[in-house]
Amino acid sequence: MTSRPALTLVSSSSAAAMKGDLAQTKITDIMQFLSSSYGQGMIQVTGGPDGHEGKIYFMSGALLHVETGAAAGLDGLVEMLTWTEGSFQFHPGATAPDTNIGLSIQHAIMEAAMRLDHRGSGSRSGTASIANQLIHTEDDERSNEMQQQRESTEVLNDLLGIPGIDAVVVIGRDGFVIESAGNSARVNIDALGASLAHAVNGIEEMGSELKINQFQDMFVEYGRAVILCKPMGDAVAAVITPDASKLGIIRHKTKKYFEELAHSF
Amino acid sequence: MTVMRDTVVKSLAKVTVQGDENGLIPEYEVLVNLLPVSLLNRLSERLMAAAPPERKRDVEAGLVRAAYECGYHTGCGIITSEVFNDVVLPMVTEGEKDILRGAYAAFTAWGWAKSGIVQLKEGERMVIRAFDYYEADNTGEGLRAYMLRGLSQAFFDLAYADTYPDGMDTFVCRQTKGIEAGDPYGEFIVTRK
Repeated sequence: MTSRPALTLVSSSSAAAMKGDLAQTKITDIMQFLSSSYGQGMIQVTGGPDGHEGKIYFMSGALLHVETGAAAGLDGLVEMLTWTEGSFQFHPGATAPDTNIGLSIQHAIMEAAMRLDHRGSGSRSGTASIANQLIHTEDDERSNEMQQQRESTEVLNDLLGIPGIDAVVVIGRDGFVIESAGNSARVNIDALGASLAHAVNGIEEMGSELKINQFQDMFVEYGRAVILCKPMGDAVAAVITPDASKLGIIRHKTKKYFEELAHSF
Repeated sequence: MTVMRDTVVKSLAKVTVQGDENGLIPEYEVLVNLLPVSLLNRLSERLMAAAPPERKRDVEAGLVRAAYECGYHTGCGIITSEVFNDVVLPMVTEGEKDILRGAYAAFTAWGWAKSGIVQLKEGERMVIRAFDYYEADNTGEGLRAYMLRGLSQAFFDLAYADTYPDGMDTFVCRQTKGIEAGDPYGEFIVTRK
């Protein structure tokens, strides 16, 4: 396999710009990197099966405007997330023509990936893989290992390895703490299990009363800290993060581990 | 709503446990007694130690059977008792599954084992995890939580086999992990015999 640089700094008449190859990096990584390095700009992407062009405008960490030939706003971003080949070029300082998104970069990526998942619900596992690939980087090579069922303890330890996660707990629907890992010394883990079970029960009852759907996720914010809960069979997994700004990336990185954990409960 | 473990534990912890002149406690529609767990551990340790190698499996099966018989009959009394009806049944919305959740919460409340359901396929299979069970202090070799094995089998028989007393020995429980063997918790899997 030949190694090519993912990003190249090129000089233009107006300003230094950056360009690269989508086969070497992910659009989401580029968005996160550039938005954290530059106050304002536009990423011009050429990709997809027919070589479509897309533009992503951001300013001050917020995604303002996305457009492709076929779609705009979050739908445009969803489309671009499926482009795994092509090229991009960054235009620092470029101004958005208008605002059709207006979310933080992380939030927008999360929303787009969720839409991508829902779009492919007919082939859920395949779609989940696509969404994960958009966010995952170093974890890809471990995917083959995931084919074999591992001990839940190992999966919990992997979850704990995701930056930003402070503690992980798996509880039964009755509040029984099945397993926990991480910085739980300052937490009464049994009390946490009981509280989460009560909360999840309430949420499920509400969904049932409203006849909407089964409960899928629950986020509880406490200032900057967030508890993210997800049902898995007869159990509920919860991760605790002290830094809400990492929630989007945490949500995506935890996805495959949650799916793996669901086989155990 | 499902059975909330903490509610069961708190409610049952308030029940007065007072023995009569014979030391028997008429509670949960059965007669129970209060004995130090070290006595029970010592009993099983000595029985196993005294057994010749070729009979150890039989003695082990006997210990599990004793727990099973106790669990099946008193378990039926417990899950049909007034206390259980008052405390657990109002929270039952998922039938037998919730009855089992309540049973393990009661099991925890009485100090036998901090245990609960990890996985349950109704009428087919159940995985139990236990922490802090008294048999973890049992000395000896191998997996030795005989009481938990017998009771888990009994609970599942009560929940999913024929109606008491015809459903005995429909399921079997094996222990796959144990604190006494160096694992972080005890694990018990109940399946059809």
